[in-house]
Amino acid sequence: MSSTSSWITPATRPDLIENLVSGVDRYNPSNVSILEDYLYHQIRSQEYDCLANLAILKLYQFNPALYNPDVVINILIKALTALPLPDFNLCIALLGERPATANQDEPDPLPSLLPSLTLLHASLQQCRFPAFWTLFKSEELENLRDNYTIEVVGFEDSVRSVVVRAVRAAFTKIGRDRLGTYLDLSGDALNAYVSKLEWSIDQSTGIISVPPNPDNQVEATVVRENIQLPQLSKIIAQTALTV
Amino acid sequence: MSQRMALWAAEAEMDEDLHEVDLSLAMGSYGQNGLYEDAQPRIDEATMASFQHQMAQQAAFAQIPDVVKRFIVHFHQAVLENNLEQITVAYESGWNRLTEKYYAKTEWPEAEIIAPLVNDDQIFLILYRELYYRHVYSRLSPNIDDRFHSYENSCELFNYLLNSDGPVQLELPDQWLWDIIDEFIYQFQSFCVWRSKVKNKSEEELLMLADGGQVWSCYSVLNVLYSLIQKSKINEHIIAAKEGKSEEEINEIVGEYGSRHLYKMLGYFSIICLLRVHVLLGDFTLALKVMENVELNQKAPLTRVTACHVSTYYYVGFCYLALRRYPDAIRTFVSILNFILSMKQYHTRSYQYDQINKTADRMYALFAICNALSPSRLDDSILNIVKERYGEQFAKMSRGATEESIPAFEELFLYACPKFIAANPPPFEDPDALSAYLDAATTIEPAQRHLNLFISDVRAQASVPTLRSFLKLYTSLDAKKLANFLDADEEDMVQQMMVMKLASRSISRVGQEGSLLDGETISTSDLDFVIDDNMVHIVESTVGRRYAGWFIRNTEHAQRVFNVIRKSPLPVAKPPAPTAHVTPPQNAPPAKSGPKVSWAKVSA
Repeated sequence: MSSTSSWITPATRPDLIENLVSGVDRYNPSNVSILEDYLYHQIRSQEYDCLANLAILKLYQFNPALYNPDVVINILIKALTALPLPDFNLCIALLGERPATANQDEPDPLPSLLPSLTLLHASLQQCRFPAFWTLFKSEELENLRDNYTIEVVGFEDSVRSVVVRAVRAAFTKIGRDRLGTYLDLSGDALNAYVSKLEWSIDQSTGIISVPPNPDNQVEATVVRENIQLPQLSKIIAQTALTV
Repeated sequence: MSQRMALWAAEAEMDEDLHEVDLSLAMGSYGQNGLYEDAQPRIDEATMASFQHQMAQQAAFAQIPDVVKRFIVHFHQAVLENNLEQITVAYESGWNRLTEKYYAKTEWPEAEIIAPLVNDDQIFLILYRELYYRHVYSRLSPNIDDRFHSYENSCELFNYLLNSDGPVQLELPDQWLWDIIDEFIYQFQSFCVWRSKVKNKSEEELLMLADGGQVWSCYSVLNVLYSLIQKSKINEHIIAAKEGKSEEEINEIVGEYGSRHLYKMLGYFSIICLLRVHVLLGDFTLALKVMENVELNQKAPLTRVTACHVSTYYYVGFCYLALRRYPDAIRTFVSILNFILSMKQYHTRSYQYDQINKTADRMYALFAICNALSPSRLDDSILNIVKERYGEQFAKMSRGATEESIPAFEELFLYACPKFIAANPPPFEDPDALSAYLDAATTIEPAQRHLNLFISDVRAQASVPTLRSFLKLYTSLDAKKLANFLDADEEDMVQQMMVMKLASRSISRVGQEGSLLDGETISTSDLDFVIDDNMVHIVESTVGRRYAGWFIRNTEHAQRVFNVIRKSPLPVAKPPAPTAHVTPPQNAPPAKSGPKVSWAKVSA
């Protein structure tokens, strides 16, 4: 069981989607609505399936007529919180050239939102969490909040999961205030969040202990060469022959 | 609490990986086959004369040198007889020699002109055109007719293979089968790049492109590859072979097509080319996903054709780079670059030598990029070559994303990245949209888009090398103090530390079976740290020097040399008579697998 297996095949992925993602039916434009419905299902139920969403973008890439900017924006919002996995850039890589003939009836919201999404992604990727929250809550991003992220159930909590992944790896102890700015939480909300993580707070000092995990336990090691018998098999066989 | 498996602690199995190359297998396709003239069958004068007579009126035909005519007749005969050895000689040696001599700067005779030489054999003519157009693409500059016709010819060929009554009886050498599929994708990519340059197209070309329809469309190209994969049941074949099924059982599973070598290899090569197409289109996960059944080791069928072997590793390695799995990318490049180094003495005279060398050079550049982003001591010899070739850029890149280093990253990335393509043509069918397309300043070249994405990743870990060099000096240090040293805000610095932590972890296949996408989080850096509130604790791991690999390789080498010497006849001073022919092969370098080397063919 590899740590990527839930990324390659999330446990929540239905068989129908699995068949699409893994078979040649993924190229069939008439299947796009199935995948789009699945995306909206992910948005409502806090699930995430990167490969299925990439399959939508692939269909858009081959069939520009299918292009639906709202779907693309939602895919990018979901990919944003997959960090440190590279999902966001993998999605952008498939967006490619936009059709020059924009739909005249309805302006495409993606070109105006893409720079903001990219900035949000960059601040998360660079662990500049307080900056992320400031930007996210800024006036310029009102459109993104009111029309998109509000529909993504648990969006802010999934941003916090990105924070938690970074903090867990780097800290054994972290000040309460610092963590608060990273999570954009304070007071009781912060206490509740920390206790949900099962991290302990020392109320007198305000220091939070992060439980040991493979990344925050560091120790110096010396690696010595370890020679396995099979590596020597040719030499031994040869010696046996020449005797 | 267990630590992450460390990259630098997992090398033992890689050694095995890198050095288990079966040279004799890989060399097969490079064999210095007998010169074409030697193998010339005796085409009797009468037949030749009757051809001459029939076609006397055709000036074009008359201009074809006799040796070329004889070659074509002989080539056709070899294909008719499914004589793989003769086909290989004609394909690898004859064709290229005659190209050098007569067609270095012009096209080969058109298929229609040589048709009488081959009894108007349509199948052979399709194969001939395949070579004809490949020559046009590689030596000359194809015009729009060439591009359209080469597409049509490829379709005819695939149509014949896929839609005849049952599997066709044709047999072709692996090298040619690979070249057919590989060239198909190359021409697709070349077409996509060419059509995206709207500015320099003539009226006529624009009209043809507007009417082009499915010619070289993504769907048509994928359709060919998937059809070959499905017809040959190659994935089922690989799975069955992995499960240890017998040959009869496998043949049962793969059916009448898949049990034929030609279809099996075409299917197999189609998977590799699918990897390539997906990379060109920027879909790196799908690229690795289609490879899920293909094993990347030195015994895999893909190693039978060196060009295929090299190409596979290049594209897989690039996918890992795009997935930010730098240790996997490094490992992939090291493996193939070592292979190319070990092959060097054998393939210098191959007609693919230049191509392989170019790809290798690009992989050294990609290796430099990956190593700057995720320093590793995986292979010092490759690293040394990189420092020789890209020393200046490598030094800059290793210093992190400064204003100096970004241009170095850009330069190497653009030089070494695949030739990315846009999936869709400019709107040729709509003149208004086309002029809008021309005016739009927003149209960014695909390579530039991918470069921008890559640079954003580089910038994200910009300060890691500086932090690293500071941390190396301490075992524990107050965060405030460190911030002072760095002349940075403490909070900023703590955030950079988290970036550094994340950059020192990567998903990797090291020590793991499974598909190319599978992986485990590993630690990639010998320097690790943890922040305890305001104190930074730093540890460094050291790797003892490795001797075993070096000694094992050199002992094995010494044994081989010893064996060769032992087997050689003593240099007895004999009268200079019949022994002369025994010795010559011995002066060549010893091959790993012993006596089975291809120069044996010279005397055959």
